[in-house]
Amino acid sequence: MNPLVVNNVVKQYADKTAVSGVQFEVSKGEIYGLLGANGAGKTTTMRMILGLIYPDQGEIRYNGKPYSNELLKNIGYLPEERGLYPKIKVSEQLIYLAQLKGMSAKDADKSLKYWLERFEVPENYSKRVEELSKGNQQKIQFISAVIHNPQFIIMDEAFSGLDPVNVELLKATVKELRDNGASIVFSTHRMEHVEELCRNITILHRSKEVIKGGVKEIKSKFPKEKVFLQTKQEVKGLEQLAGVKVIHRHEHGLEIEIAEEKVASHILNHALSQSEIEHFQVKEPTLNEIFIRSVGERNE
Amino acid sequence: MKSLLDRLVSVMNNFGTVVRFTVMNKLKAKPFIISTIVFLLIISVVVNLPYIIMQFQGGGSDKVQTIGYIQDGAAPGSTTAQQLQQYFEAVEGSRLQLKSFPSSGDAAADEKTLRDALNNGELYSYLQFGEMTDSGFPEVIVKSEKLLDDSISNQIEAALHIIRQSNVLAQSGLSEQQLNELQAPIVVEAVQIKGSMSGEDGDSAISAAEQGVNMGIIYFLIIFLFMAVMISGQMIASEVTAEKSSRVMEVLITSVSPLTSMFGKITGMFLIVLIQLASYIAVALLNISLPHNAEMLQGLSIDLSVVDPMLIIFAILYFLFGFFLFATLYAALGSIVSRTEDLGSAVMPMTFISLAGFYIAIFSIATPDSMLVKICSHIPLFSPFVMILRAGLTNIPTWEVFVSLGILVVTIYLAVVFSAKIYRTGVLMYGKRPSFKELRKAMKAYKI
Repeated sequence: MNPLVVNNVVKQYADKTAVSGVQFEVSKGEIYGLLGANGAGKTTTMRMILGLIYPDQGEIRYNGKPYSNELLKNIGYLPEERGLYPKIKVSEQLIYLAQLKGMSAKDADKSLKYWLERFEVPENYSKRVEELSKGNQQKIQFISAVIHNPQFIIMDEAFSGLDPVNVELLKATVKELRDNGASIVFSTHRMEHVEELCRNITILHRSKEVIKGGVKEIKSKFPKEKVFLQTKQEVKGLEQLAGVKVIHRHEHGLEIEIAEEKVASHILNHALSQSEIEHFQVKEPTLNEIFIRSVGERNE
Repeated sequence: MKSLLDRLVSVMNNFGTVVRFTVMNKLKAKPFIISTIVFLLIISVVVNLPYIIMQFQGGGSDKVQTIGYIQDGAAPGSTTAQQLQQYFEAVEGSRLQLKSFPSSGDAAADEKTLRDALNNGELYSYLQFGEMTDSGFPEVIVKSEKLLDDSISNQIEAALHIIRQSNVLAQSGLSEQQLNELQAPIVVEAVQIKGSMSGEDGDSAISAAEQGVNMGIIYFLIIFLFMAVMISGQMIASEVTAEKSSRVMEVLITSVSPLTSMFGKITGMFLIVLIQLASYIAVALLNISLPHNAEMLQGLSIDLSVVDPMLIIFAILYFLFGFFLFATLYAALGSIVSRTEDLGSAVMPMTFISLAGFYIAIFSIATPDSMLVKICSHIPLFSPFVMILRAGLTNIPTWEVFVSLGILVVTIYLAVVFSAKIYRTGVLMYGKRPSFKELRKAMKAYKI
């Protein structure tokens, strides 16, 4: 049985359904992506996993057991908005938080120093949080979620407010936590992070699951509707081919939207007959496109 | 069984961690340190104020003040003035003395003489006499440059009373023994009958000294509780709100149960307030015991050994219970607000309630057996202030105190359950301050 099982949970707020029938499992050493537009029910789902609120229906099991206070020590949480004491030293508050998670002050101090070193900010140890830049605060927040080496990690918008260098640093860290066997639930709006990190995802829309499964399978289910073509000479008459919808002329080639996948081979044959081909690719839909299509179209 | 014990240990560990964190951060916070030091300085100044004022008068209180008058053989005023002069000369250590000036026969010239003497500092003030009155003395007018200086006219009035009395008595032909009898002081001692409070039947009277000390202690207790509640209540509520507005609460509630964190915070603040108030009292006592204040201390004549031990026990119980009742409610109110700016209006009701309890107790200290006091001594939020008054100053059956304590304990239990629910709900709600209806809805929705 997988360490984290979310079984058909439903959450109703007064007159509004926040989450309706969400179901997924996270195995050991996996990052699970929870996607959705604002207000789709991601935060509510995460709060239920954190045990802050209880589901109306369905259940969540951790290592096969229901939620209990014992579990608090085993969960790390990175909230969407920064949550730290602004006027208290980094060392004091992180050791405090780690102690609440059951660590001894000494171990917490050691772990904190390791992580600060790891994030290349050891000088922040004795600074107050309000003195730090936004990116550095985010690093401290990240440390507060993982300092006690939890089995379950919930990350809400982990990389917001970071520059590309630091995003890479934190991404590498998340992968390492995964490889060490943590079960991670991860939410973001940045689809390229999801493609890189997550094995399985759920896309929520208005409290319901609209797409769910492995990133590869989801992509393969969506038809390939784009072709990239780069040729030596100009190819004429592409517009007249059946199934060609739009042609975008880029600097180094053409991006052609097609009605169905088999049109691609017609385009290739047509092009070959006129010119040598430098580059031809039938493009997979990006998750971004899938997301916008599945969420955006239903919005209408 | 073992796992239950483990859980208890881990809860207590977390509780201790929260208490320590709360206390350490507060003690290190600059605003706290500064406000405490400022208050300590104010206390030091206030305690020494009588001495300081005395110093500024430059020993003026010991100086004999001279009052002038015009000696005009025939006028009735002159006789009176002479009598006053003799009287003040006879009184040992009198700070007033009269000085006569010869009359020139012209009233305006006489007044000018006196005024000149006043201006060059020879005189402090001077007397003039008006028409004869029924009292047997002419009307006395005290003229002075200092406005509203009652003390001289009061002393002259008192002196005239005595002079008249002895004049009348001298003419009545009473014997010396009869005169002594008339002047012997009358002794009235107020003794309060003690009830079941102490359980000692033998000595069943509260002496005046004991009652005086009781009253002092009760004043002290009521003010102490009030200050503890006001200071810490605000601090607790604003700490909770600060944790919420900085969103650190979201991390906290995934680390420690809300109940543990709430009580850890309350206990931490309790310790802080005790430390703060104890330092105030210590500094006040230190100042009082300085050599130059020794006289004042003797004047108070406090003998704590006469205090009923039961009163002390009740006082401690009411202090603890009262503090925790108010503190839990303040914590709950703090948790429903997400911005510090909104805190003031949210805790307003609690502030009014504690003010009401405080004033009911303070204003009833002379009438501790009124119906208002009797009723309020059983109303939970008022009883910590009011019951202590009844217990110390009236003859109240012990069971009544226990009934009131029982009501208080039940209320605390309900307040804890209720506050914990509000706290759990409140810390998850952001945005504008929720109405009570919204809060109840949210509580239901969160299944808390």
